[in-house]
Amino acid sequence: MFQFPISRRQALKKSAAGFGSLALASLLSETTSDANTIDPLAAQMPHHAARAKRIIFLFMSGGPSQVDTFDPKPLLDRDDGKPLPFDKPRVQFNGTGNLLKSPWRFRQHGDSGLWVSELFPHLAERVDDLCMIHSMHGSNAAHGGAVMKVHTGSDNFIRPSIGSWVSYGLGTENGNLPAFVTICPTLAFGGINNWSSAFLPAVYQGTALGDASVPSERAKVKYIRNSRLSRELQQLQLERLSQLNREHQSRSGPEASLEARINSFELAFRMQSELPKVEDLSGESKATQHLYGLDDPVTANFGRMCLMARRFAESGVRFIQVTHNDNKVQWDQHADLKNGHEKNAREVDLPIAGLLADLKARGMLDDTLIWWGGEFGRTPTAEGGNNGRDHNPDGFTMWLAGGGVKGGLRYGSSDDYGFYAAENKVHIHDLHATMLHLLGLDHERLTYRYAGRDFRLTDVEGNVVSDLFA
Amino acid sequence: MICALLCVLLAADEPARTAPPTAEQLRFFETNVRPVLVEHCQKCHGSKKQWAGLRLDSREALLRGGDSGAAIVPGEPNKSLLIRAVRHEDENLKMPEDGKLADRQIADLVRWVEMGAPFPETAKTGMRSRDPKHWAFQPPTEPQIPAVKNTKWPQIALDNFILSKLESAGLSPAEKADKRTLIRRVTFDLTGLPPTLGEIETFLADDRDDAFAQLVDRLLASPAYGERWGRHWLDVARYADSNGLDENIAHGNAWRYRDHVVAAFNRDQPFDRFIVEQLAGDLLPAADEAQRHAQLIATGFLTIGPKVLAEVNQDKMQMDIVDEQVDSIGRVFLGLTLGCARCHDHKFDPIETADYYGLAGILKSTRTMDTYTKVAKWHENELPSATLIAMRTEYEAQLATKKKAVDEFVAQADKQVREKLAADGAEKPPEKLETLYPDATKAELTKLREALSTLVKNPPDYPAAMGVSEDKVVDLAIHVRGNPLKLGDVVPRRTPPVVRGPQPPQFGPAESGRRQLAEWLTDPQHPLTARVLVNRVWRWHFGKGLVRTTENFGLLGEAPSHPELLDWLARRFVADGWSLKSLHRLILNSSTYQQGSLASAEVVARDPENRLFGRVNVRRLEAEEVRDSLLAVSGQLDSTFGGSLLKVKNRGYLFDHTSIDLTDYTSRRRSLYLPVIRNNVFDLFQLLDFPDPAVPSGDRAMTTVAPQALMMLNSDFVMQSADELAARLLAEPGDDDQRISRMHVLAYGREASDEERLGNRVFLTKIEKSVAATELDASKRRRQAWSVLCHVVIAANEFVYVR
Repeated sequence: MFQFPISRRQALKKSAAGFGSLALASLLSETTSDANTIDPLAAQMPHHAARAKRIIFLFMSGGPSQVDTFDPKPLLDRDDGKPLPFDKPRVQFNGTGNLLKSPWRFRQHGDSGLWVSELFPHLAERVDDLCMIHSMHGSNAAHGGAVMKVHTGSDNFIRPSIGSWVSYGLGTENGNLPAFVTICPTLAFGGINNWSSAFLPAVYQGTALGDASVPSERAKVKYIRNSRLSRELQQLQLERLSQLNREHQSRSGPEASLEARINSFELAFRMQSELPKVEDLSGESKATQHLYGLDDPVTANFGRMCLMARRFAESGVRFIQVTHNDNKVQWDQHADLKNGHEKNAREVDLPIAGLLADLKARGMLDDTLIWWGGEFGRTPTAEGGNNGRDHNPDGFTMWLAGGGVKGGLRYGSSDDYGFYAAENKVHIHDLHATMLHLLGLDHERLTYRYAGRDFRLTDVEGNVVSDLFA
Repeated sequence: MICALLCVLLAADEPARTAPPTAEQLRFFETNVRPVLVEHCQKCHGSKKQWAGLRLDSREALLRGGDSGAAIVPGEPNKSLLIRAVRHEDENLKMPEDGKLADRQIADLVRWVEMGAPFPETAKTGMRSRDPKHWAFQPPTEPQIPAVKNTKWPQIALDNFILSKLESAGLSPAEKADKRTLIRRVTFDLTGLPPTLGEIETFLADDRDDAFAQLVDRLLASPAYGERWGRHWLDVARYADSNGLDENIAHGNAWRYRDHVVAAFNRDQPFDRFIVEQLAGDLLPAADEAQRHAQLIATGFLTIGPKVLAEVNQDKMQMDIVDEQVDSIGRVFLGLTLGCARCHDHKFDPIETADYYGLAGILKSTRTMDTYTKVAKWHENELPSATLIAMRTEYEAQLATKKKAVDEFVAQADKQVREKLAADGAEKPPEKLETLYPDATKAELTKLREALSTLVKNPPDYPAAMGVSEDKVVDLAIHVRGNPLKLGDVVPRRTPPVVRGPQPPQFGPAESGRRQLAEWLTDPQHPLTARVLVNRVWRWHFGKGLVRTTENFGLLGEAPSHPELLDWLARRFVADGWSLKSLHRLILNSSTYQQGSLASAEVVARDPENRLFGRVNVRRLEAEEVRDSLLAVSGQLDSTFGGSLLKVKNRGYLFDHTSIDLTDYTSRRRSLYLPVIRNNVFDLFQLLDFPDPAVPSGDRAMTTVAPQALMMLNSDFVMQSADELAARLLAEPGDDDQRISRMHVLAYGREASDEERLGNRVFLTKIEKSVAATELDASKRRRQAWSVLCHVVIAANEFVYVR
């Protein structure tokens, strides 16, 4: 594919923030002429006026149940234990039995009167900021396919992640940081393909902080720290490195790729000082740490991810993903729904409410789009000794907040039992198109030519759901 | 499923221009400019209508302009009418008529004009869609060897093709590279390793005329050749040690395929035979057990692709797997994107849905999977041998022993119970005596049964290879829009009729047809197979193919830069018995290959992308070469050949929901042998552009991004290699200047200059001084300083680039 040498001048332009070190000053006195170089990460003008500048995706790995969280079904309570009065899908993951009512009570909240179950007491206080989509549907009943569908728009081909598309479309506001980061992502179910740039140039690849096997406290970008050398030694090293590279270049002649590699070391050195600052939460006030639940062992792990997400958002990162992935059960309650969902909800409820409150207080909720959801929902029918639910891609709930969507909105609906999306159905492709639209990108025009074809995140699908817009 | 977006291909007359546009500029044009022109301008200013005498569908047309004059002035957006029109600067000239473009679209047009309005050149054939006369479908021509002015330069006919193009562009090739450069270049090229000190000295001292040819022969004969060039094939074959996709489970036997490929390359197996075995090895007669094994293993090519193993819809799973195979065969052997035709006729190539299902029937008649229930199981062929028979006999004997132990124990216990009952005077013993056993006896029996069932559940891993066998032979019905529930006409198995040359094979009811397909592919008259292959070999030697889209020779692929040379090489390759090593000799012993990388400013300006091959591209080492070089120069490389380093058992999970990485990359073996885990390729490789092992790739990307630099600066592996190199240097006699010289020769294949020696000495002193406060031991300080210096040397450009 192509390479995109970042010129020194462009690097300097972008480095206004954070380049305090004189370590490489000698290098920077040189200039090069490169009128035709296109910096792939330069901030791009959107296709149309943007409502949001960035996305924070709160991914609930495993598939939370809609009928136990945000989409109450009185008939499900009434008909508990009876058969579903209509056909189940032709293809099911495990197969299920009769209807199973929710073990949790629902109540209406806020001015909007949106319904929230007892599972989310803190989030319930912020419902007037939430834009509920009760008519989500996807196309794959297995984790792998469904996770990839949510992240890349495709469940059986390797395609760029939505975060890569956004970086490609908009570039970054901070040249010293990656445009797309993902905190503690799961390595199962497509693994890295879920944040990879696939055929888009490698600069659009998501940068992972740790993975789901490590606590967020230890989630760092790989190779961002040197375990052996002090900063002073590294500065000496870089000076010598630049001398050797210059001598080499004087022998080998001008060559864009050599030049680009010299620049990449400069950028790396800047990233190395900038990134840890964003990762470091110690400067946050007690009050803020409390808001995200960092002082409670139940919420601290996910809270830390949410707080890091806010800090990345503040620093100009375009797409930030946070994954909730309990190592044992995730949200995948084929059995023991009660305990599993309760544990998971307790871990995320307060931190998410804290994130919303914090962003709002900082005036950032207006241009930050929050996206909450799993790869699918769960069946209203029972599985696993009558106390669990199977995967359900045919109808589930996701919500958005901030970034130009209507707060307190209840959009679309599922059927009386919450099995299928019914009114105003929103497919994953539609949601992708809608979110891109909010960022100022037209999903039909955000294309990349690869292997002789123009590809898009939404393939040949996707309708923008403008009813969601504030 | 795969749905191409309709894009309009336009005929562009060849524009008058000095420098051809760069790929980057063309990408910008295709992504940001062409869509605007097509959508908003060409309805009125295109091939159908030319309002105001204006067309906007080729660069020449834009320059010629319409009634008001030229539409663009390259480099001068403010003077370009097109820009003025879209900016609505002039009351009488506001375009497009249906509303002003978005700011971003206007900005893109401005940027494009600033760049000089790059526009891709396309052949003058008009609409090219689905053209059955497309060059790639015709048998290779027998080109004349072109005449050249500089008759001294060509060493072989290949050079004439290159030189004549250069000369007609008014350019000259680069100077010949010096011997040091050549040995470093060709050693990496053929073996993926740096030359050793001894090898460099021997070559420098060899003043025979054919010293370079001798060097090439030595390298081709080294086992490291197969390790390097076999890896190229593994890229194409989407080789991986795990399934990836949804259920990332271990391909525990994939390594046999890898080792088979390496061996086949090393013994220069005729490539037509190699291909036949990849597709139909199981159907071929074998002279002995070794050959039989090799042929069974070769069919791993068909099985090794990624599969959605937890797909709940089994029909879909099966057709997805067939699709992956058809698509891979298309890309790998034909250079065609056949997968497009699963749901609709190919939008650009003359490949119909019926052609797709004609091929898909062959794969559907092939057994790739044993079960389709999640998690589905791929088929493996046992490798019959004395070992296998011994293993099986042994296992069966163990089973029999354990079973006998259970039976005897039950008989004995029953007897005791019966005796006890009789003694107690019970009338009729119950049918199942076990319930009456004493507790201790029950526990004992449970233990014995568990031992038996554990053994039953865990048969030994018999030597087996991923691969295929025959299944029920069927012809497939067209799946309308790819949907297995909507079936159309049944298509008898067949090869795509658009491919001219070889006789279309007959497919009978007795065989899947893989053998016939493979024989058709390797027919000397086949227009694609040999061309696609020699083009890849060219790509792997020169960094770019003669056809740059190595996996797409279709209408949307790029046209060859040197079509005659491509045909000449393809014919020569077939005539030489499909011998890869002969092809290497042909290419490497040319003046073209032996050029230097330095070109005049004029050549660089006029051919910035080196499409004419008037110099050799500076090349960054590939991921494996970087790691192997680090191991080699630091003296850590373990050159053991073959075998598996995978720690997870066959079909075991590499990754589950815990995300814990179960693969160990600490081995010091060559990179080829590190497990290739889909969804989570070894990060050092991933950073250095290792291709996605889920799709065939003959043209690795080459990116330069900051995370690579972070890895070179901060990874323990790199620092440890530096430290080992330092230890190696310090252990040798001599003074620091000699050590510095040796370090340079090891790392760069050349002596250090005086300036470098001085610079490095000063640097060593600086480091020693800087660590003086924390490190009191002088010898440790010295080791640390050397380690830091070696780190710099291996992080430098010269270490990772070859010229």
